[in-house]
Amino acid sequence: MLRAEHLSKTYVTTDWSGFLKRKKSKVEAVRDVSLEMRGGQIIGLLGINGAGKTTTIKMLSTLLQPTSGSIDVDGLDGVRDAIEIKKRINMIAGGERMIYWRLTARENLWYYGQLYGIDNKQLAQRIERLLGMVGLAEKQDIPVERFSKGMKQRLQIARGLINDPGYIFMDEPTLGLDAAIAKELRGYVKDLACKEGKSILLTTHYIQEVEELCEYVYVMDKGTVIAQGTPKELALLGMENKVLCVELHENHERLHRSLTEACQSAERNCSIIWDGKNMAYTITSSKDLSSTVAKVLLEQQAVFKKFYGQEPGLEDAIIKLSRRDKDGFFYEGTEGRDEKTA
Amino acid sequence: MGSFMKVLKAEMRKQHKNYFFNKSIYITLFIWPLLTFISAYYCYKPFRLDKIVGGLDYVNESNLVVFVLIGYLSLVFFRCFVQSAWRFSMERTFGTLELIYLTPANRLAFIMGNAVSSLFESIWLFVVFASGIFVLNASAYNIDMLSAMLGIILLIVLSILWGMLLNALFLFSRDSSFLFTVLEEPMEIFAGIKVPAAVFPIWAKAISAVFPLTYIAEMLRRIFIKGDGLVQIKGFVLISILIGFAILSITILCLKLGERHAKKTGSMALF
Repeated sequence: MLRAEHLSKTYVTTDWSGFLKRKKSKVEAVRDVSLEMRGGQIIGLLGINGAGKTTTIKMLSTLLQPTSGSIDVDGLDGVRDAIEIKKRINMIAGGERMIYWRLTARENLWYYGQLYGIDNKQLAQRIERLLGMVGLAEKQDIPVERFSKGMKQRLQIARGLINDPGYIFMDEPTLGLDAAIAKELRGYVKDLACKEGKSILLTTHYIQEVEELCEYVYVMDKGTVIAQGTPKELALLGMENKVLCVELHENHERLHRSLTEACQSAERNCSIIWDGKNMAYTITSSKDLSSTVAKVLLEQQAVFKKFYGQEPGLEDAIIKLSRRDKDGFFYEGTEGRDEKTA
Repeated sequence: MGSFMKVLKAEMRKQHKNYFFNKSIYITLFIWPLLTFISAYYCYKPFRLDKIVGGLDYVNESNLVVFVLIGYLSLVFFRCFVQSAWRFSMERTFGTLELIYLTPANRLAFIMGNAVSSLFESIWLFVVFASGIFVLNASAYNIDMLSAMLGIILLIVLSILWGMLLNALFLFSRDSSFLFTVLEEPMEIFAGIKVPAAVFPIWAKAISAVFPLTYIAEMLRRIFIKGDGLVQIKGFVLISILIGFAILSITILCLKLGERHAKKTGSMALF
């Protein structure tokens, strides 16, 4: 198990205010972050740009030393036993960097395998298996520069598995890929956790990816974890009101009055919006009004196409959470952040 | 030691595949040094070398080609690293350096692999050419074979150490183009390859003393032209060994400081 407790990272930046004058300032990139990764689990690390996700991943992967806090990987200390930990972790990033384009897929994997000191016979078998797993076995001797974006990304996944790591950090692995290839890669990621028991920490801006893959999610903002839970639990946080939708087959004059009266008597501040073009009602309320609405529909014998409650969305929750400060205020915009409302 | 050699070999093979992927590179690797050798020869030719105070009395019209060639051959050994180190610094830009630092690989083996690969890739063609010229003139010289072997070993070892230092410097430097300018041309001028170092004023002699190439070139010239033995070159050998240790220490320090800085600030640019 990988456990990070109270991780903080403060960068000291130097600004030259004159030819010889320099001013040092501190930037707190990550503050008091605690998280856990267990075998076979895919964990999501979400947040808007600059939230501190990459700094957190770099600390977990031993590339950055935390200013305070501790990292424990299978009983090893993140700072003291960094070399041993490096053998048990790996990172997979999105984009086309981090591989050698003039080398073939096989040569890339061989090179990284050698850096991990893997025995040659074992390495050859592993390369064979990984290339087969990511569907590059037939293209293994072609220089990477001739690969498509999707093939390069599949090679990245194989590279990230070359040392058979227990813990994998994935930083936007489907960045810039088309829907079909992204879906295929999500399949690989799922298999890594489910079939091979790898523990994966995934950062992504694609919410669908999180909803499909992640068992547990940490939401970061301004360097700290502002919420955590399963994707469903988090989505509920973003949904403050219940939303009901009713789509009718035809216009129903009497229904509008009865629906308004019934809903407003149940919840005074509810809002009912009629979309004449689509012949649909959207009812927003702090209470669940589904039984009230169903009763009115039956009483008025209204013929409806659809009657459903809107599902809470994780995306809305993250945007909402990211705009709230520690006192519970919401920011009006993501930039500037000087105006806030209760 | 096993894992050190593994990383060393892997890095050599990677660099070979990555930068020497095109056969035409070998043509430029020969033509370019040849042209600069000709330019160095004609730079030396106008000097009355026998009149220069400072020990070039063994050079004359008949051995000038070999004299310049030995100096130039030594330069090729050292200079190939400036370019390869500059290319090596791209590892930081392409993000591969971060992945390498994510592995437990020995950092010294990694930069040594690049240096050794660059050395043998870049110089072998010119070495063949230079050896050919030398063999044609060999009968004119009386060479102490032990000194010659020691001289060549020191040339290879010191140039690899120099390459490792440059790799470490370029790897963690914010402005590698600046280092490129500072290290390439001045080495050629001040190490006595194009112009005899003995004619320099004191300040320029001080600069030439910084480059290990200065000592190696002079030592090899004395061995191969003047016929100096171990006793005569012992001063050069001692200085070369001391410089070698100093270079290795600075390289290790630079690697350690660079990694520590990267862990602290998240930036691979140390200076």
